Amino acid sequence: MIAQLLFAVFFGLLLLGIHRKVIARIQRRPGPPVWQEILHMLKFSFKTTWVPKTASAILFVGVVLVAIGIWTAALFVVLSGGSLLILFAIYMLHKIVEHGFGLSSGSPYGKFGGVRSVISAASEIPLFVSVAAIAIFTHSLLISDIIAYQALNGPLLFTIPLAAVAMYVVLLSKMPFGPFSIVESKELVSGYKTEHFGLWRAGLEVCNGLKTYVLLLTFILVFIGGLPIWLILIVMVLILVTLSFVCALSPMLSPYDSVTVQTLIAGIMVAYVALLGVMS
Amino acid sequence: MKKQYALALALVAAGSGIAAMALNMVHTLPDWAYMGVLVIAFPLFVLGLGLYWMAREGEADIPFLGY
Amino acid sequence: MNEIGGTPLFFLEFGDIVVYFTPFTLTLFILALIFTVFVLVSRPERQIDIAFGGDAFYDKVISLSELRFRRFMSIACGLACMGAMVTGDVFDFTLFVSLVGICNVGIVAAVKSRHVQNAAYQYGLVALAGTVPLFSAAAMVAATTGTLSMLELAKNAVEIPLAARALLVLGVMGEGMAPFYAAKAEMFRAPGAPYVIMCSLSSLLIFLRVAEVILLL
Repeated sequence: MIAQLLFAVFFGLLLLGIHRKVIARIQRRPGPPVWQEILHMLKFSFKTTWVPKTASAILFVGVVLVAIGIWTAALFVVLSGGSLLILFAIYMLHKIVEHGFGLSSGSPYGKFGGVRSVISAASEIPLFVSVAAIAIFTHSLLISDIIAYQALNGPLLFTIPLAAVAMYVVLLSKMPFGPFSIVESKELVSGYKTEHFGLWRAGLEVCNGLKTYVLLLTFILVFIGGLPIWLILIVMVLILVTLSFVCALSPMLSPYDSVTVQTLIAGIMVAYVALLGVMS
Repeated sequence: MKKQYALALALVAAGSGIAAMALNMVHTLPDWAYMGVLVIAFPLFVLGLGLYWMAREGEADIPFLGY
Repeated sequence: MNEIGGTPLFFLEFGDIVVYFTPFTLTLFILALIFTVFVLVSRPERQIDIAFGGDAFYDKVISLSELRFRRFMSIACGLACMGAMVTGDVFDFTLFVSLVGICNVGIVAAVKSRHVQNAAYQYGLVALAGTVPLFSAAAMVAATTGTLSMLELAKNAVEIPLAARALLVLGVMGEGMAPFYAAKAEMFRAPGAPYVIMCSLSSLLIFLRVAEVILLL
């Protein structure tokens, strides 16, 4: 477990590094080396750290612990084949973490990032929709059952492609530099994480690595099925590269447009799953 | 935070994680408890280690003035 | 019983009202608990603002009485939230959810600023309106099935009308609207941490729980 946890952190950070590299190559820049995000995490952990005078101290520190803790729990839920609903809950609670990061520092930039995170609540609905669509077919939300179902009936990717698209949009909305990443947009310096410097930011990087790994792993397990671990890692990189293409080729939407587009997607997905429910 | 406290925190967190792993291997500790220990210990370990490296023991600063 | 949130770990019975913990509700319960503890022990943020036209700056301090009231409301909100996470009774759930709504109005409304009061007033109206579908959903469930216990309802002995589920979701949406209004109030730079986080957390948690309840019924 400990080995898997550490592997997930570093591989997740490596994925984020590959993400930056691919975006850079698409934009015809040399880009940073692929292990840049790992270096970032180490660099931040070596920086002088204290709690700002303006901050609400315990929340400021506590939210970093919660951020790492919930994604560690998410990794274990996936590895032990637990309920998809718990994963959904953790994904939604990440919103609280973002809000907590922004809120606790007493800086307006962080606060605006947190507020944007709250108003883009519609980005979670597609995930719930794909969960509901899966439940219609597999009659269970345990990841182990879903994998077993796919071993018998073939990947869910072909059975319910639109649910896979919904989950893909969810992945996209959590990728940095994407069309929906308004929470860390540059007019807010770094958005919700502006005032979390030094070690606190290193903790956030650990959380980001875990989050990327867990979300991609879930996508593969739920829509493609149980694969050998080396194949899972390769598929992860492939999915990530497609995400990087979307991120590199689409502009960041303005907050209003981002919320509108996410709400539209959520609406379409709700209609789709209602249709699925009626048909089954 | 004093550096000794940070180091102690990191060591205790790492120690409890490794102890949980050992107990799990000899089937004394069930899987869910092992995971629970890691969920609590891992964030504390990350922060403890980082604070031991670079925590500043002096006075805090005001990073930003609002408007 | 339908194992939507994993296998139930244990049941706590108060007569015919059963509180039960599945891995899912337990996760939510623990998170509500953690953030309630944060609110309990954390000092509020101390924003510093520039006075335009000079080098001066001024502190935005939360007065002690305001701090006490907001902290009380946040803790009450956390407790209501924890109740809503683990209860196994539809009526108790709606009661806890409406309590969350009331506490959220309290958290936002305690700040003495015109903009914040406005946001709180608007949200208060929405939350009030939200209680109507919320309790009528519980009433419909009781009227059609004769029971409010989720464990009984999960057996699917009697079909629950779609309208009851829809009204339940609508009610929770009304009560859980708080973060949008809190965001609105925060835009005007009222010192919010750590109390505003409870608005955000409680409404997310009740949404998550109602998703489980809907799938369970």
